[in-house]
Amino acid sequence: MIGGGGGYLKPLPMVTHEDREFWAAAREHRFVLPQCQECGHVWFPPYASCPSCLSFDRGWTEASGRGTVWGFTIMRQPYIPSFEPELPYNVVLVELEEGPMVYSNLVGIENDAIACGLPVEAVFEDATDEITLIKFRPV
Amino acid sequence: MSDREFAGKTAIVGIGGSDFARLYRSRDPERTGEALATEAIAAAIADAGLEKSQIDGLITGGLPHYEPVAYRTGLTDVRFVVDYPQAGRMCAMALMHAATAVHHGLADYVVLFNSVAFRTQGTKFGAQPQGLLYDTIYGMASPGAQYSMGFTRYQAEYGGTEEQLGAIPVAIRSHARMTPGAIMQAEMSIDDYLAARYIAQPLRLFDYCLVNDGAVAYVVTTAERARDLAHPPVLIAGTAGRANFREWYVDLGFWDEACRSMKADMFDPLGVTTDDIDCLQVYDNFSVSVLWGLEGFGFAPKGQGLEWVQNGRIALGGELPVNTSGGMLSESYLQGWNQHAEAVRQLRGQAGERQVPDCDWSLYWCLSALPGASLLCRDGLL
Repeated sequence: MIGGGGGYLKPLPMVTHEDREFWAAAREHRFVLPQCQECGHVWFPPYASCPSCLSFDRGWTEASGRGTVWGFTIMRQPYIPSFEPELPYNVVLVELEEGPMVYSNLVGIENDAIACGLPVEAVFEDATDEITLIKFRPV
Repeated sequence: MSDREFAGKTAIVGIGGSDFARLYRSRDPERTGEALATEAIAAAIADAGLEKSQIDGLITGGLPHYEPVAYRTGLTDVRFVVDYPQAGRMCAMALMHAATAVHHGLADYVVLFNSVAFRTQGTKFGAQPQGLLYDTIYGMASPGAQYSMGFTRYQAEYGGTEEQLGAIPVAIRSHARMTPGAIMQAEMSIDDYLAARYIAQPLRLFDYCLVNDGAVAYVVTTAERARDLAHPPVLIAGTAGRANFREWYVDLGFWDEACRSMKADMFDPLGVTTDDIDCLQVYDNFSVSVLWGLEGFGFAPKGQGLEWVQNGRIALGGELPVNTSGGMLSESYLQGWNQHAEAVRQLRGQAGERQVPDCDWSLYWCLSALPGASLLCRDGLL
């Protein structure tokens, strides 16, 4: 889905039965992660089944929102037209305290100050009435 | 494939491919992947000195479906057919599959190909509207951005400069300039490399492979049959794969474990070491893939690969020539298949002014979401 009304023109997630609860929580500014009720494994993105033991007995755990920057890139090419006005912008891969890796953007920091290993915490950015994106800022 | 008994029992006996530079100069709306594949198949069969009627196995790659090209080849009495999706990471898997098939008598002569019309079709390796990993909602787009992210991490762990990385595309470009049919023929210095724009910083334009049209096909059979054919056989000494399916793209250890595992599978049963390898023909989707493989396979010390590739070491005439026909950075993005064709030319002694002296062993790797590798050698060494 591209754009969601209200003037937000960037790509938005296509919410499915697998991740509906994740996005519902984000809308309430809560960061939840799927957790296996059989083996305890925590994973992301929120598939319906546990990629460790393949159980479909999935619950949710509140994430601390804390993590560190594993790697980053500064996008210079307008691959996605709606992102063009923001060039150059950062994308980071954050290693969460709970283990999973998540792609996101860092806010509240200049691009040239971003570094691997930087401690970060989640912030919530309401994109549309339905979708809230989870981004990160330096701690 | 780590079985000593299997090593060298199969061979690549014919190669065929497009004139990539000619295709690149014009976009023909009537050009199809099926036609490019058919031309490459015919060339590979002729190169082997075979008749089309002898081909009884077909592995297709790069096309939406095997059937349109299968009809165009008019192959009959085919005993083994596999349809691989468009993905460079499948290159080593397809070779592994072909070798296994002929070794076990599922077919006598398998023709396999990869055919792409990326440029004509305007294929973009950028933004899909919906990423599997929610990455596009954050503006993450293109595989290159993933490798770029890996390189920032690599630099944080081991140091090294962008200028040092430029030695890889510069060396590979110098090889393309000696290769008929290679797309990028212009001379490129390290200053030219550094002057090019960033795409996903810190990676620049020339850290990226080409996007073009073309096909490469080869014929695989048993080593025993190969010895009766047109050219000296190029033996398949080993193939290997090692995938960890995880929810991010670049391996967090830069594919070190995958490389070590694939090397052990292929090298150890034969007693082969890195010193035996005469040239590398590897998957250079991005310059950093070459860097990480050099370290993972143990050619360069861990964390010192950028220093190691300086001063012509990986150029023709150097200690370990890499991608002697220009690879995917400068010859053609045929996704590992043009590298295998060049390995065959080198091991047959047919590489002309690019010929690596006394070339006995050539190694291929692809570091991607599905890592794969192959080891080829001249006949008589196993």
